[in-house]
This record gives sequence, C-alpha cells and structure tokens, in this order.
Amino acid sequence: MAEIFVEGLSKSYGDVVALDDVSFRCASGEVFGLLGPNGAGKSTLLKIVVGLLKPTNGIVRLGGHDIVRSPEAAKQIVGYLPENPSLYTGLTVQEFLQFVGKIRGVDDTSLTNQIYESLRSFSLVEKMNSLIGSLSKGMKQKVALIASTIHDPSVLVLDEPLTALDPRTQRLVRDWIGSQAGKGVTILLSTHLMEIAQSYCTRLAIIDKGRIVASGGIDTLRKKAAAGSEANLDEIFLRLTEKSGDA
Amino acid sequence: MAQVPSWTVIPVLIRYWIKGRFTKTALISILIGEIFFVLFILFASETFLSFSGRFRIGTELTVITWSLILSFYLIGLIQSGFNGSGLPVSGGDVDYVFTSPVKSRDVFIAKVLMNSLTIVLFAFPPMFALYLRISRFYETSVVIAAVAGLVTLVYFLMGLFLSADVTLSLGKIGRRASLLKSVFIVFVVFVTLVPFLSILNGTPETVTSLIRFLPNGLAAATSIGLVSGSASGEILFFDFILLLLWLGGLLILGIRLSNTHFYELVQIRQPRIGKKIVQTSSRSELNPIGRSVWSVVGTKERIIIKRTKELRALLMNVLFLSGFMIIYSLSGSFQSSPISFLFILFILGSFGSGNGMRWIEKERLWILKTTTISMKRYVKEIFRARVFPLLLSLAPIIIVIGVFFVATEPIDTSSQMSLILIFPAALQIPALMMGGSMYFAAKFGQSTTDDILETQTQELVDIKRFIYQAIINLALIAPIMLLVTGSEMVALFFGAGSTIPLFLMLILSLLYTYIILNIILDKAGNTIAMREDL
Repeated sequence: MAEIFVEGLSKSYGDVVALDDVSFRCASGEVFGLLGPNGAGKSTLLKIVVGLLKPTNGIVRLGGHDIVRSPEAAKQIVGYLPENPSLYTGLTVQEFLQFVGKIRGVDDTSLTNQIYESLRSFSLVEKMNSLIGSLSKGMKQKVALIASTIHDPSVLVLDEPLTALDPRTQRLVRDWIGSQAGKGVTILLSTHLMEIAQSYCTRLAIIDKGRIVASGGIDTLRKKAAAGSEANLDEIFLRLTEKSGDA
Repeated sequence: MAQVPSWTVIPVLIRYWIKGRFTKTALISILIGEIFFVLFILFASETFLSFSGRFRIGTELTVITWSLILSFYLIGLIQSGFNGSGLPVSGGDVDYVFTSPVKSRDVFIAKVLMNSLTIVLFAFPPMFALYLRISRFYETSVVIAAVAGLVTLVYFLMGLFLSADVTLSLGKIGRRASLLKSVFIVFVVFVTLVPFLSILNGTPETVTSLIRFLPNGLAAATSIGLVSGSASGEILFFDFILLLLWLGGLLILGIRLSNTHFYELVQIRQPRIGKKIVQTSSRSELNPIGRSVWSVVGTKERIIIKRTKELRALLMNVLFLSGFMIIYSLSGSFQSSPISFLFILFILGSFGSGNGMRWIEKERLWILKTTTISMKRYVKEIFRARVFPLLLSLAPIIIVIGVFFVATEPIDTSSQMSLILIFPAALQIPALMMGGSMYFAAKFGQSTTDDILETQTQELVDIKRFIYQAIINLALIAPIMLLVTGSEMVALFFGAGSTIPLFLMLILSLLYTYIILNIILDKAGNTIAMREDL
C-alpha cells in the first residue's frame, strides 16, 4: 500500500493564490478527509495530487513517486473520482470501462472479470450495454467509481463522491468507501458531509482560503477549535473557518 | 396586482433577450460569419450562373432549382420543429418567464419577433448579394434585387413560424409526431422534385406550377421572377400575396396554439447533455481483448463519431458538396478561374476543419490525464480515426470531379499533368486543416455542456480561436496551394518532360503534409498535457 505525502504545496493563477503552503501526510491505508467551504481550494489540491494540475511550488508524492517528476509511476497507483465526473456519453457502460481499463494498463485476462465483478457489486450488470448518456446521475456516479478502481489502485482520491446522490445510492457509495478502506487503500476524500467525514476519516484537514487551518484526529481538531468535548464536527468546522475568516 | 399589459411586457422581454444574445463579442463573430457567408453565396451564384449560361438553363429550371434549395431550409425547420426546438426556450425562460404571470401569447409573440429580427438582420445581406449578382446577369435593377431579397425573407420568417407551430403542437400530436414529420418532409420533397423531373422530360408547364403549392416554390418563383424580369407583374403579385397568406396563417395558428399548448414546451424541452445520441443501448463494439491500447483508442473514437451522428452529418454534407462540385465542374470554372479552384480546395479543407474541432470536450480530459498514456500519441490516434472517414468520403467526389474535368474540358497536356498534384492536394488540404483545427480545439476547446459557452468571455475565446485558426490553417495549406498553382506552370514549361519535376513536387508536397501534421498534432498533445483550466 502507498502513502500520500504533500509538502509546501502552493498553486497560483496569476495574482490569485489558490493554495498556500499546504502540507500533510496520509499514511498507507488511512482515510484522510478534506473539509472546507466552497472555493477553499479542495478540488485544486486534489487535482494537483492526481497530476491534473501542476503545482506552483511544493512536492506531492504518491507511494514515494513524485507526481511532477515521475508522473507515470505515480499515476499507475492512483484512482480519481472528480466532483462532477463527465463520461463518454456515446459509449456503453461496458465499453467505457473496457476503454478506461485498457488505457490504465489492466491486462486482458483480468479486465473482463474485473468489470463484471464491479458491475455486479454496484447492481449495474443489466445496464452493461446501456449508453452512458441514457443513465441517471446516480448510475453515472457508480460507473465513475468503478472506473476509478478498475486498475486496483493503492491510492484513491475522491472529490465529493456523494454530491447530489439519492439516499440509497449514498448508502451504496458509503459502503464502497468503507470496503476500499477495509482493503487497505489509502483514501484522500473531500466532502461537505460532516457525518461521512466523522464516520470514515481517521484524520481530517480543514482547508480555508487555500491554507490548512487545522489537521489531525477529531480530538485534535476540537482542541484547536477550543470546542467542548461534546462538540461535533459541524461546530468544529464552523469555529475553525470563522477563526480563519477573522484572521 | 394588475396584469402587466402586452404592449409593455413584449418590448421588455425582447429587450432582455437581445441584451443576452447580441453582446459585443457575439456581434463581432456574427459579422465575421456574415462576411464568409456572403463570399460563399457570391461564389456559389457565380458558379451557378456559369453553369446555367453554359447549358442554357432557362428561368423555369432556375426557379425549380432555387425552390429545391429553399426546401432544404424548410425541411431543416420542420425537423427542428418536431425535435422540439422550433421555439427555443432557455432555462432562464422556464425558471423566470414561465413562472411569471405574463400571458403565454405575449411570450410567444415576443419570441417570434425576436427570432424574426435575427433572421431579418442576418439573412438579408447574403440574400441581397445573391439577387444582386443574378440581377446583374439579367440586367435588372438593384431595387428589384432588394425586393427579391425581402420576398425571400418573408419565406424565411414563414419557416420560423412553421417550426414554432410544429413545436407548439407536439404536446397534442404526441406519438404521431414521428409519422407526421416523415409525411411533411416527403410531401415537401415530392412537390418540389416532381416539376424538376417533369421539366426534363418535357412534361407540360402546368405540372411545373405544382411547386406553387408550397411557400418555397412561391418564394423562388417570385424572387427569381423579379430579378430575371421574366414573370408578369400580376402573377408576381398573386404569388407574393399567397406567400403572405402562408405567413399570416402560420402566425395566427402559432398564437392560437400558444394559448393552449405553450407550457407543454417545458415538458418537451430536454436539457441537452453532451452530443446528441439517438439510441440508448448497444452491444460492446470495443472488443479490447488482445488489442493494443492505441487500437482501442481509435475504435473508441470511431464508435463515438458513429453514435453521436457526426458520421451521418459528414456523409450528408459530402452528398451536398458532391452535387455542388459536379455543377461546379460542369460550369467550366476550372479553366476560367484558378482562384475559384483554390476556393474549392479551401471549401474541401473546411470539411476537415469542422471535423477537427469536434474531437474534444475539456470536461472529459480527466479520464485521459489521470492515466499514463502519452497525449501526443493519443491525439495522433484520434486524428487517424477521424481523418480516414473524412478522406474516404471526399475521395469519390474528387474522382467524380476528375472524370467530369477530363471528360468535359478540352484540356491540354499541361493541365492534365498538373492533376498529379491537384487531386492529392484535395485530400491533403482537409487533412492539414483538420490537424490545425485539432490543435486549436486542444488549446481553446470547451465543454459543450457547461454554461461557460453562454458567457461573453467564452464568446471572446471563440472569436480569438476562429481568427487564429483561420490564419494558421491558411498558412498551413498555403505551400500546398502554391505547389498546385505552380504545377501548371511547370507542366507548361517542361511540356512532355514534366512528369519527373511534377512527381518531385508531389513528393515534396506529401512530405510537407506528413511533417506538418506530425508537428501540429504533437503540439496539440502537449497543449492538452499542459492545460490547466479543467
């Protein structure tokens, strides 16, 4: 299994600083949560981690591979789910997964089985030959989740995986996240849902205006927020982001 | 609170729609489009006049031909009407206008006036250019050309009303829509084509007047009758009144329909997600087992082209182009105007350009960019998958033109020799322009689903992209054009011994195409790898 190492990460677009000196370490098999208000820089951070964006400064290593210097090695071990995954609507579910498996280097012998098993676990077997364009949002999300793990990654980067899903699909996705964590996959998860963060993440980082304002386990965050021992993550989050806003 | 009166609400709606649609950048892009359209109309009318002069085509056949061309517009609008886009309704209309107490009849009138204004503003210049050229041929006045242009505008407006009416009636006709669409289209084509066939067989003139049942025939007969000076004033007046009756009738029908069916538009209106796909399921055609990743990438692209109807659109366009090219080659313009021949090469090239622009949607780049595949190689595979159907569909046209050219023109040896370069160039140019456009799509290409397409910033990016693309594509194909124009001089200079120099020029031209395509596609790959606006 592999760890995620982020050190002194910055990202600027001209004068606009999207990320400022972000550092954290996510141990092998850990589920690390990223919380933050809209526009805090969470998606930018995740995009840099998976190699979609280049950092202005800093280091990102996945399983010891630098995403900038050795992108091929790093991308081999990472799976990514964007916030609003856009898929090839003109392909069927099976074709899309075959395509992703092939460009991710999954060998032919395991590709067919891998696709079938994943579709079965998400109850999508009967939709195998459906065009992605004809699927509901929840189904598309399931297809995108399968695509993100088709190559058996040891690191998973999930950007708001439960956004706009109905309760049944949310439950399925939550179980899936739990099963991935159970397999020892390192997960970096961005979410607005405090309940998910609290129940699945071993550690959390709260990010605001491109900076990490607090990180650690829930008790550590409580201390930093000067919240009581009964304070839930909602209260902690509000206190920490308010503080950051005041600063 | 009192209901807002129609005379207040209609101008308000139009004013805000105009503000949304005609931004400064949108107007610049429309202006550029208008210039290109006028140039094309002039070129096409010149070709048709050469053709009709050479084959002594009378005004009757010209009317029928123009009626046929106008029927394509009508068929397009009938189709869009049945597809539910005859009365364009935006998300903003649904959320804010439809939920307001504004009368549906007022919204309909405002929509129709808005669309009519657009048609009047943008269709008149090319139509005026067309009739002006024809009026010069028949030695009639500029005023007559302007009146003929206005008559055609009435027809265009009538088409808009028909399309809107069809969309408004969709809620009522429901499951019969598909059948009615086919009946409508077959009827228009039949009534337009029958006189065409009968006039060639020498059937009595009364049969040819069949086209006057339909507005496209009336518009063609009136406008061509005006500019050619061939029809009597009474007949022209009668035809024009009939056309106005069509217009008025369809407008009244639309207003009546809008009172009862307007809000069904909300159900008809489907949010457009990505490119249009007709089917909902299919067996896997990818078959990845035992194949290389690049072969799978190529197959994926071919499947997408097929399912998003891009391939069908390409073949339809090629069909129209081949008809035009046959008329062009028969018109004798090859010999008389080398510039118009280069223009034809450019039109062929624009097919490649159009094909190249559609290959990318930025929101799907995450699928590729989070993997280890080489973007340079990926772009080249996509190019191969897209360029082969394009060239395969263009090749028969070029062969047909070649046959017409050699068979109908009393050409000398030097002209025949220069064909060694001309025909490959007709394929090289679309390929080069496709490569160029793929690069620009890689650099500026946006999502087709994002709202960003509606913003002014995006319009500005589109204009910049269009201008850069046109300039760079012209620069890319210029050496081939030069070699083509130079080949005739070489053939003339060397006479019978020009085979070797011409073949050397051909090798040079092919080598140039190969190298430039490699460079531009590598640049496209690098551009995608570097893109950060994801």
